[in-house]
Amino acid sequence: MWAPTMLLALSLNPPGASAANVEASLISERPSVAPGVPFHVGIRMRIRRGWHIYWRNPGDSGLPPRITWTLPKGFAAGPIEWPIPGRSEENNLVTYGYDRDVILSVRITPPATIHATSITIAGKLDWLECAEICLPGSARLWRSLPVSPGPGVRTPEAAVIAAARARLPAGPEGWAFSAEAGPRAIALDFVPPKGIAPREAYFFVDKPLVTEHATPQGLERTKRGYRVTLARAANAAGNLARLSGVLVIEDAGHARSRIGVNVDVPVSRGNPAYRAPTKPSNRNRQGERS
Amino acid sequence: MNRIATLACLLLLTPALDAHAAAIVGKPAPALEARDADGKTVRLDAYKGKYVVLEWVNRQCPFVRKHYGSGNMQSLQKKYTEKGVVWLSVCSSAPGKQGYVQGPEAKEWMAEEKAAPTDFLLDPKGKVGKAYGAKTTPHIFVIDPKGKVVYNGAIDDKPSTDREDIETARNYLSAALDASMAGKKVEVAATQPYGCSVKY
Repeated sequence: MWAPTMLLALSLNPPGASAANVEASLISERPSVAPGVPFHVGIRMRIRRGWHIYWRNPGDSGLPPRITWTLPKGFAAGPIEWPIPGRSEENNLVTYGYDRDVILSVRITPPATIHATSITIAGKLDWLECAEICLPGSARLWRSLPVSPGPGVRTPEAAVIAAARARLPAGPEGWAFSAEAGPRAIALDFVPPKGIAPREAYFFVDKPLVTEHATPQGLERTKRGYRVTLARAANAAGNLARLSGVLVIEDAGHARSRIGVNVDVPVSRGNPAYRAPTKPSNRNRQGERS
Repeated sequence: MNRIATLACLLLLTPALDAHAAAIVGKPAPALEARDADGKTVRLDAYKGKYVVLEWVNRQCPFVRKHYGSGNMQSLQKKYTEKGVVWLSVCSSAPGKQGYVQGPEAKEWMAEEKAAPTDFLLDPKGKVGKAYGAKTTPHIFVIDPKGKVVYNGAIDDKPSTDREDIETARNYLSAALDASMAGKKVEVAATQPYGCSVKY
């Protein structure tokens, strides 16, 4: 009994690796690969309680996870699709990341023809895991999949990846955004789709040297919608041409629902005032993610 | 009335100013006064007329170990102190936090690592770190002989804990010092520092 069980376990569980506090593995939406049909894989990171990893812009310190793929000839991997991050503050330093289990999904595009009966998707994942202290983590992840023209059966992993992708920040369709920046502050104006009433908002800037992450962001109502104000980074480089990142709002209509929207807008020159929030925001903290 | 208004202004401004306290490129460097590993008081203005490098350090941080374990930091310290640059390593770890050191320990560590800064400053209350806006270890600041900040940011352009990356990295600290010392403009004067958070 022992040996077959072991073998089964080995063949079902793709190799993953664990540093001290994060366990990483690679899961696939499909049990097989069809030529020319894109699909998603997920880098699953299980994070020990009290530890965290980072978003694509880590904030004041830290490093985002990085993956270097080794793919069969003709295969292409898209960028990491980053889930909505959380915000963590300690000693006036603010970082962005994840403190719960997370799936980083990536779209894989196979070539139109595959001359093999099975292929292997492999990658080297590097990350930084931090609690009070930080440790570098690294894992070689791989997944072998048979080549088969049909769509294949849906696996339990497919549901995990689909659920993670359903929670990704949405495209800006239905939202209106504009931005204005001056020497002291950046203002992001937005009009949400009908039926969404922001109670709290936080803009996760995805580029360095744009804002001071530790300075609280203001949220106010405007004639047409809402305005989030961000303090300009002390060492901001010249004029800001574009503002990009993820706007996360808490909808007043839906308790505890967090909505994330991708933002990438041109910035006009102005001199908006920095408006401190009327009360310190406790939302968007790590640990509040459902 | 005036006093109340002033007080209100101060109350309103203080948090924002705190959050913004930083060494700003092109502006005079914030004042600096701290005890070194020997207990001597060190002040930045005593070094007017010289280039000064401030390097935030936490000997247990993997990013700091990348640059010391490889000998990179020590060779930069030697290279530039030989050219008359004043190099101050600063530790802002609070007591009980990672990297916290007292004088004798700091000296022991420096001897072990063959570190060669001009001095090692102890900043357990984080006064210097917060005045400069030091965020990570390492975090590098370069101050010119007039006392102006000419560089604030990362040590190089390869944010990782991999020693192998040092060879192919573009070292921002060297680039800033070399350009400034040659009377040229510092091309990249502000970058996002990378590393562990400073353990205030």
